[in-house]
Amino acid sequence: MNAIEVRELRRVFRATIGTIRRHTKEVVGVDSISFDVRDGELFGLLGPNGAGKTTTVKMLTTLLIPTSGSATVLGYDVVRDAAAIRPRIGFIFGGERGLYWRLSAKDNLRYFADLYHVDRDVARQRLPTLLELVGLSGREDEKVEGFSRGMRQRLHVARCLLHDPQVLFLDEPTMGLDPVGARELRQVIRNLVAEEKTVFLTTHYMFEADALCERVAVINHGRIVALDTPEGLKRHVKDLSVIELEVFGIAPEMVETLRQMAEVDTVSVENRDQKQAIRIHSQFGSTLVPGILQRMEGNGVRVGRVTVREPTLEDAYVRLVGGEA
Amino acid sequence: MIANLRVVLTTFELDVKQQAVDLFMIFGVVIQPLLIAIMAIYMLLERDPSRGIYVVVGSGMTGLWTSLLFRGTFNINAERFMGTLEGIVASPSSLATVVMGKTLASVTLSFLSMIFSYGLASIVFRFPLTIAQPLPFFVSLLVTIPAFISFGLLISPLMAVNLSLSGWVNALEYPMYILGGFLFPILLLPDWSNPLSYVLAPYWAARVLHATSSGSATLSDILLSWGMMLVLSGIYMAASYRLFRIVLHRARVEATLSMM
Repeated sequence: MNAIEVRELRRVFRATIGTIRRHTKEVVGVDSISFDVRDGELFGLLGPNGAGKTTTVKMLTTLLIPTSGSATVLGYDVVRDAAAIRPRIGFIFGGERGLYWRLSAKDNLRYFADLYHVDRDVARQRLPTLLELVGLSGREDEKVEGFSRGMRQRLHVARCLLHDPQVLFLDEPTMGLDPVGARELRQVIRNLVAEEKTVFLTTHYMFEADALCERVAVINHGRIVALDTPEGLKRHVKDLSVIELEVFGIAPEMVETLRQMAEVDTVSVENRDQKQAIRIHSQFGSTLVPGILQRMEGNGVRVGRVTVREPTLEDAYVRLVGGEA
Repeated sequence: MIANLRVVLTTFELDVKQQAVDLFMIFGVVIQPLLIAIMAIYMLLERDPSRGIYVVVGSGMTGLWTSLLFRGTFNINAERFMGTLEGIVASPSSLATVVMGKTLASVTLSFLSMIFSYGLASIVFRFPLTIAQPLPFFVSLLVTIPAFISFGLLISPLMAVNLSLSGWVNALEYPMYILGGFLFPILLLPDWSNPLSYVLAPYWAARVLHATSSGSATLSDILLSWGMMLVLSGIYMAASYRLFRIVLHRARVEATLSMM
């Protein structure tokens, strides 16, 4: 059985532009996407910032009305049956907002337990277990304003689990967490799947999707560009090699020149302090390196370390989103 | 039903905790009514000290209205700022239940205005303060609670349905002091403005509280005020129910649940 079914789901946002001569601009957030999530599955939606991940989650959690198309969660329509869906799902949106900072962690949880109509005795029993699960035992009487970002994110997880939902929507839950906090949270997510919860996870970290998800949909510019298991996605790039160059002060025009090369598949740039890491996908591997170095040095770009390696899942993702990651 | 009542009471409790440390609310509920009371007391000092109770009730009503107006305006929008509105809307509880708990907290805290004004007039200025008809006065106080809550329930979605309306909040504070007859009777106002007062529950609250505290209330006066407050409460509730539906639908269409 499918926990989530999405058919041709589309969402258009309207923005007003101009002060005196105002006109409305339409932006397509999600563009006719379709997919299913099986009961008890950990499904990942992966994409760069602004790809449509959060918009998709908000429509599935009944917080946004789709412009067209349909979606069901546990068999209930997200527009018509919003009231039936709400007690059965939990969600976390990445970031620190969504909690009452002037209240203690315990008061926050107590309040959300009441909002979700959790029986007081059940809530009383569940609270210490959840605090233990997210590593906040002993801190429950402290005000949230004194919590670190990681602690707030973990409190969100506890809040989301209070009413024992069947389906969980986790929108970039590890965003901004330190590596240890993120690893702990990923373990919490694994435990939830072991308890037969359906988890819908959005992330722009490929390794996170690789480590957690059974299937991953890659979304870009509002459209799903691939949907497969992590292993299946890796097969998208098995014919490619990855050339990584460490450069100093490369101009956008030079990056564009590299993109225009016939032998090059995709080019992505990552800024690392004073330097940039250029990742080039190509079928030609190391044979392409001398030509690239010649072009760079000819344009006065200082090149540091150069490596050629086999592609990973992250490379598959970069290829699918056209180097925008 | 019990679950909804629990939401109202927990919201009330936690909102009182948050408001108690909110400097703006402390100003609106404690300091501003005291300033108004001091000003009115000095105006009365030489003329008619026996009208001290009028000052206490009137300045208390100003605190009640200020609190209701500002909290009502920002009840929903503050949740938006904090990012908690989505959590509330996505829960099985209705937003109206949450706003009811918050409004109850504002109204309850606002009664402090009346207590502080009473203390100021009786202890500092040593005015002879007696409530002439204590039983009708305290029953009237109880009747004002649903009247003010329903008015608050009307203000919150009204201000959320159009965000630019909340910019007018300051401009709405003083007209109610006047139209509500908090500090002087509306008989002093031009006749054309009286119908505006009659559709405001705070006017009927002020009228019956002033009359019962000064001893000028007849039974028919009292019953008329109570009846009007209850009828207006019903009208406000019906209008707010419709407004909440519009607010939530529009927010889900326009994607404004999490932004300002």
